[in-house]
Amino acid sequence: MNLKAFSDVFSAVIPMLFRGLEITMQVAVTGIVLGFFLGAVSGYALQCKNKIAKGIANIYIWIIRGTPLVVQALYVYFAIPALITNIGGERFTLDSTLAGIIVITLNAGAFISAIVKGALEGVDIGQREAGCALGLTKGQILRQIVIPPAFKSMIPGLFNQFIISVKDTALLSIISVNEITRQTQNYVARTYNTIPAYTMCALFYLVLLSMLMILQKIVENRIKR
Amino acid sequence: MSNTLIQVNHLRKSFGDLEVLKDISVDVKEGEVLCIIGPSGSGKSTLLRCINQLEYPTGGEVIYKGKNLCEKKADVRKFREEVGMVFQKFNLFPLKTVLKNVAMAPVLTKHKNKKDAEKLAAELLAKVGLESKADVKPDMLSGGQQQRVAIARALAMEPTALLFDEPTSALDPELVGEVLGVMRDLAAEGMTMIIVTHEMAFARDVSDRVIFMADGYIVEEGKPEEVFGNPKEERTKAFLSRFLES
Repeated sequence: MNLKAFSDVFSAVIPMLFRGLEITMQVAVTGIVLGFFLGAVSGYALQCKNKIAKGIANIYIWIIRGTPLVVQALYVYFAIPALITNIGGERFTLDSTLAGIIVITLNAGAFISAIVKGALEGVDIGQREAGCALGLTKGQILRQIVIPPAFKSMIPGLFNQFIISVKDTALLSIISVNEITRQTQNYVARTYNTIPAYTMCALFYLVLLSMLMILQKIVENRIKR
Repeated sequence: MSNTLIQVNHLRKSFGDLEVLKDISVDVKEGEVLCIIGPSGSGKSTLLRCINQLEYPTGGEVIYKGKNLCEKKADVRKFREEVGMVFQKFNLFPLKTVLKNVAMAPVLTKHKNKKDAEKLAAELLAKVGLESKADVKPDMLSGGQQQRVAIARALAMEPTALLFDEPTSALDPELVGEVLGVMRDLAAEGMTMIIVTHEMAFARDVSDRVIFMADGYIVEEGKPEEVFGNPKEERTKAFLSRFLES
């Protein structure tokens, strides 16, 4: 490939990758935030005494861990709308990006619940007892004494899950979420510039994730202090 | 020394098949310092923890201001607001400054405004000799300093009585003195205290009454000069022999 051809491909692919990045981050960030709330509830349920809540949380985690993300994506995007259509009678469809956010949320939530459970259990029982002995209510003990140190110890795990979720978004190309991978696939299908396009796609991910990993190190060093 | 403040009647506590407390009855009067001594595993700490319901007793009563705390409807939180506890491992809140550790509970439970609570906290820190440490985190302090903060934290609730669960057992020997010093001051001020301790000399000097526990029973009870000077029971003599020889 001559230089002219290379620079043509380059200038076509780069903007496209950035358009994909927008969707990738939109799905990953929304997914991790919602997944955190879901994981917080299910992680709390895992370590509480209520057997029903614990059971529901365990079933949720079991289903998510026991099925591939791609299958979950296909199920949420195709099977569930079809089910709703069959039951409701009216045609129901789901926006692919929204379906992607749901899948990432469910996935991140399941793994975050383990992080939350561990962090809550990691808070020394003595501190809860000290709160009790001072006459604090259960809610006050949770908010004032348990959550602050638990949240601090969760941050590395949450960041890790965020990086995993960013990578997982590539799998959503299968349900035509227009993220980085899907954008590249579309470009290749149009132009057959297979080698430069996928090379740039891979490098783009590498740079993106390297930046996130550096940020992760900085955050971890800060909370250690 | 007048009214009975806390009364324990026929208290029992089992963990599974293991009966840790077997029919314990004891009362504490206002202003009294009661020390509980005895070998490890004798149930001393469990007794203390049953009094403020950190462990639920299997049977018996704990009466405070005429109310039985072991009843389902009892307001245990109110009792805990009024009767503080100091733990062996300090249990300070690691992310809060020393001042916030002390000032937090009165704001949350007694709805004191923050300024007043922090002013009181600063006074109490001065009282335990740690006014210069108000703005540091607990992990910057020695064990003895942490325990003094824990005592200030309990005092911030303006308690009617304090429970001490082996307050010096986790400390280096050279740090024990500073904590016992604070406790001596409290005793001199007339604070009602129940103290589980292995510090025999302290128990002898400071307490109004001493209880010797073994195997879940109160074996012997009396004034410190009686229990330490002339123990009646063989079990007490055996336990105290090492201390009395030295």
